[in-house]
Amino acid sequence: MNIRIKILSGFIILALMLLVAGIWSIHELNSIGSSVQNILDDNYQSIHAAKTMSEALEREDSAILLLLHGNWKKGRAILTKADSVFNQKLRFATLNITVPGEQKQLDLIKTQYESYKALWEKPIVGTAKQGNLNWYFADVHPRFLSVKKSVNNLVELNDKMMYKTAMTLKNQSGRAIMPGIVAVIAALVFTFIFTYLINFYIVSPIIRITKRINKFNDKRTPFEVKIDTKDEIFYLAEAIEHLCLSIKNQDSAQ
Amino acid sequence: MRFHIVLRYVALALLINSFFMGIASAISIFNADTAFMPLLYSALITMLFGLFPLIFVPPASNITNKEGLLIVVLSWFLSCLTGTLPYILYGDPFTFTNAWFESVSGFTTTGSTILSNIEALPTSLLFWRASTHWIGGIGIIIFVLSVLPFLGIAEMVLFRSEISSMVRENFHHRARKAIQILAGVYLGLTLLETAALMIFGMDFFDALTHSFSTIATGGFSSKNASITYYNSPAIESIIILFMVLSGIHFALLFSVVTGHIKDFWRSSVVRYYLFAMLAGTVLIASNVHGAIFPDWFASFRYAAFNIISVGTSTGFATSDTAIWPPFSQILLIFFTLQCACAGSTSGGIKADRIVLLGKSFIRHLKRLMHPNAVVPIRIDGNVVEDGLVERSVLYIGIYLSIVFISSLLLILIGMDIKEAFSGTIATMGNVGPGLGVIGSTGNFGQVPEAGKWILSVTMLLGRLEIYAFFIFFIPAQWKKSISY
Repeated sequence: MNIRIKILSGFIILALMLLVAGIWSIHELNSIGSSVQNILDDNYQSIHAAKTMSEALEREDSAILLLLHGNWKKGRAILTKADSVFNQKLRFATLNITVPGEQKQLDLIKTQYESYKALWEKPIVGTAKQGNLNWYFADVHPRFLSVKKSVNNLVELNDKMMYKTAMTLKNQSGRAIMPGIVAVIAALVFTFIFTYLINFYIVSPIIRITKRINKFNDKRTPFEVKIDTKDEIFYLAEAIEHLCLSIKNQDSAQ
Repeated sequence: MRFHIVLRYVALALLINSFFMGIASAISIFNADTAFMPLLYSALITMLFGLFPLIFVPPASNITNKEGLLIVVLSWFLSCLTGTLPYILYGDPFTFTNAWFESVSGFTTTGSTILSNIEALPTSLLFWRASTHWIGGIGIIIFVLSVLPFLGIAEMVLFRSEISSMVRENFHHRARKAIQILAGVYLGLTLLETAALMIFGMDFFDALTHSFSTIATGGFSSKNASITYYNSPAIESIIILFMVLSGIHFALLFSVVTGHIKDFWRSSVVRYYLFAMLAGTVLIASNVHGAIFPDWFASFRYAAFNIISVGTSTGFATSDTAIWPPFSQILLIFFTLQCACAGSTSGGIKADRIVLLGKSFIRHLKRLMHPNAVVPIRIDGNVVEDGLVERSVLYIGIYLSIVFISSLLLILIGMDIKEAFSGTIATMGNVGPGLGVIGSTGNFGQVPEAGKWILSVTMLLGRLEIYAFFIFFIPAQWKKSISY
């Protein structure tokens, strides 16, 4: 095999190691990007929606207390707004199902909320319910708590999935870094081996040839260099040996 | 020392590893699992490192003993190192230390694992894990030589450098013939066991990987519960049969195949090995009967499997031996130290050396009674040279000293005395499970990082039969001619 191919193969190998590691790292980094996007799109938005729902529920609870106190106008205004926010976020969460069990949880929230809403949808101010704290603690508050618990469970469900995705991200980041580390170490070791072989099979023979030529020039010592490989260096040594023989023959003839 | 020639032969070992990584990546494509890129990139890196010296360095048919020894030790070391690549590139749960431990355990056919949930790994990575057993089982260099055309004197030097010094005494064939016998028996046993396991209900993948583990006397299983997962006396019986066969000198198995059954029974080492296994089974079955297992069938079933598994240095498990009575545990420790016959894939001190030790002890007693008597040691009618007897006894002494030192180091870093000692003998003998948390139902994941490195050194020491390992790390020895 000629020297050009040997050296070229060394560089191709080096390039291949780094190239594949680079492509793989880019691929892994891309998938990290996708995972981050997934966390934002799927889990974070669901968590945000659930938290808004929880806040809306709190506001509805306060509004009910205002109605019990006889403050109809302010109480109804808060209730209408909070109900709209709750339903909007519930719709959003229903359209953004990404976690196993999320649909079931949302159905539960919907049923519980309807049952809760049925209590305060009917007039409170000016009825027997106004100022009736017993009714509030016996009927309204337990339903409020159960809806809130279900909403919190929804947050927890998405939190868990977010943690799981984050752990996957951690593993993926390791996978993105590792090919680079392996490629760098492998390239360093390979460069060392490459240099050693270049030195042994190319540089050293050239030095030996040069020394033997100088010896031949100085003392007409026969040119003898042992070359292990059948490449350009071998043919060069052979050609020089013939040249030296010719010169020696010419010298003898003179 | 011609390092470029050493490089060329070590490269061949890397190519074998690369080939198996390639098969594993093909399995990964087929199963669409997550280990494809780690396996493919590992295969590529290993292949490139293997190919380059072949491009640059012209073949040399003649190598010296020193070069042969360096090729063997470097092949083992670099195979273990490249073997870590699929694991560390795969990531969790493999840190570099864990990957190194798993790789060394695989190639040295120890079978100790750091994994607590083996079944969580992709099938392709499990295949690579089992392959390390199969490559290492027969010996990395023997594996290389068996797939290459005749290499002349180099082949003989490499063969002698790779195989155990005890095997060298027992092999009466030329290197090429011996390699063919080893490879033929190895492949034949693997194929036979795979077929037998499939007949009794294992799927092809499990049958193949368990055969790799059994014939290499490794112990890696693709199941968390090891062989207990199958709960099948038929599968256990097949594995017992092939564990016993894998613990016998391959040349003797070859004799049986070629019709020379007398050679098999004439071997006192084989007779001792089979008798020891039988006696161990009876003793343990009697001990665990009532205490652990209510009936005799279960007592014999679990005693036989576990004693043969340990006594052949395989390390599969069907029972939690950590809860067995102390008498049974001591017997297991004896078999973990002794293991099976030289010339097999087994580790440990080897039955051959125990037989020599026993005969040497009897000779010593005779000499005490008759100081002037010439008492030669004979095995199968042949006189054993004193040098071999001396080397064998010395080997046992050094082996036990290393066990002591390693146990001491493990205790120093905080391991329990029982786990430190059993862990050392299990890794040094390439058996696998120890006692306690590193027992047959546990794993080495909880061993401190430094402990994993100590144990991986003992695995390599056991696999390379101590001397080669030490000579490699003592620069002064390279100036002298090597005879071990």
